[in-house]
Amino acid sequence: MRVKHAVLVAGIGLLAASLPLIAHHSFAAEFDSAKTVTLQGVVTKLDWMNPHIWVYLDSKDDSGAVAHWQCEGAPPNALTRQGWSKDSLKVGDQVTIDGFRAKDGTNTCNARLVKLPNGKSVFAGSAEDGGPNKRPPAQ
Amino acid sequence: MSTRSPSFVATAGLVLVLAALYPAGCLAQVPGIPETIAKPANAPTPRTSDGKPDFSGLWQRPYVPDMSKSNRDQSQIGTPDLPFTEVGLKAWKSYDAANGDYTGSCLPFGLMRSMNSPDPIQIMQSPKYVALLYEQNTWFHVIPIGKQHDKEMRPTWFGDSVGHWDGDTFVVDTVNFNGRTRLDTIGHPHSDALHVIERFTRTDATHIAYEVTIDDPKIFAKPWTNKRTFTLRPDWEIMEYSCEENNKDLYEGHIKPPPR
Repeated sequence: MRVKHAVLVAGIGLLAASLPLIAHHSFAAEFDSAKTVTLQGVVTKLDWMNPHIWVYLDSKDDSGAVAHWQCEGAPPNALTRQGWSKDSLKVGDQVTIDGFRAKDGTNTCNARLVKLPNGKSVFAGSAEDGGPNKRPPAQ
Repeated sequence: MSTRSPSFVATAGLVLVLAALYPAGCLAQVPGIPETIAKPANAPTPRTSDGKPDFSGLWQRPYVPDMSKSNRDQSQIGTPDLPFTEVGLKAWKSYDAANGDYTGSCLPFGLMRSMNSPDPIQIMQSPKYVALLYEQNTWFHVIPIGKQHDKEMRPTWFGDSVGHWDGDTFVVDTVNFNGRTRLDTIGHPHSDALHVIERFTRTDATHIAYEVTIDDPKIFAKPWTNKRTFTLRPDWEIMEYSCEENNKDLYEGHIKPPPR
């Protein structure tokens, strides 16, 4: 399983993220700001629904074993105003997600940055919800 | 959800004036709004037929997850150290969001946490009522104008609000909270003695100066105030936001329900 507990890396070719986004709950209610995670894998499903979008991901480790992950992002309303759509991520897309793990130890994460197949990294998370404010730098 | 009056629907229907698009030729750039649709920032305050400032429209507001801090379009007046009482400081220090942040269960945010939310609000206005439609979780709150607090009403999440005009400023006085909410995302506490005073002033065509004073003698030794700026977004429409439709955080047990 390719899970890097590493410093988050801002992507290149970033979309401007000018809107404040929020979880409907406090970040600390569910996620651990000390447990960063970087996931590389293939999108298997996308829930484009409130109160958060969820991206489902199959991530392989170096031995080829597949782990199933689910990562929540901001509400679709806010992402829509930021330029996202339900077609921004498609099943089969190869993506890299930088985020934070859930406190309960399951393969659940809070996505901050999603690097898309075209190389762009977009902010998908719930900044300013009390959690780490990992956003792409302004262009 | 706050259901102050069944007149809400009629009121909303009467005053449903969505901000129109404006010709590009007479526009000045307003920060955060595309140039092609913004009104000039110095255009006069629009007024209703009875001469009152017209707050109708969809408004973008600063997200305020921590009311003790200042940032763009949000100012905590005075020190960031909130004037806690001994009881208040204990309530603040002991708060742990992981032990059941009530919003994770989609329970009502309450007045202040809704006013602090980042999603826009639609304001609708008639001579008798002002209605705030929060996109956050599709809640609403209706404020009757010129009435007194109803002392018989049971305590609620959003409290009992009454409004009055102070010149061109619309003042909202709210009491009778159930004490089950927090003031902001970070979790600043309040009690059932919370008294909120909000002042809305439409300073020009595209801005509202918003001032809110938190008065809660059980939690704070003295009242304190935030000042903010709301910006008109005629290029946006309010959207549905169901907190419950896919709340996997709660349904799968990643987040705890609040203590009862």
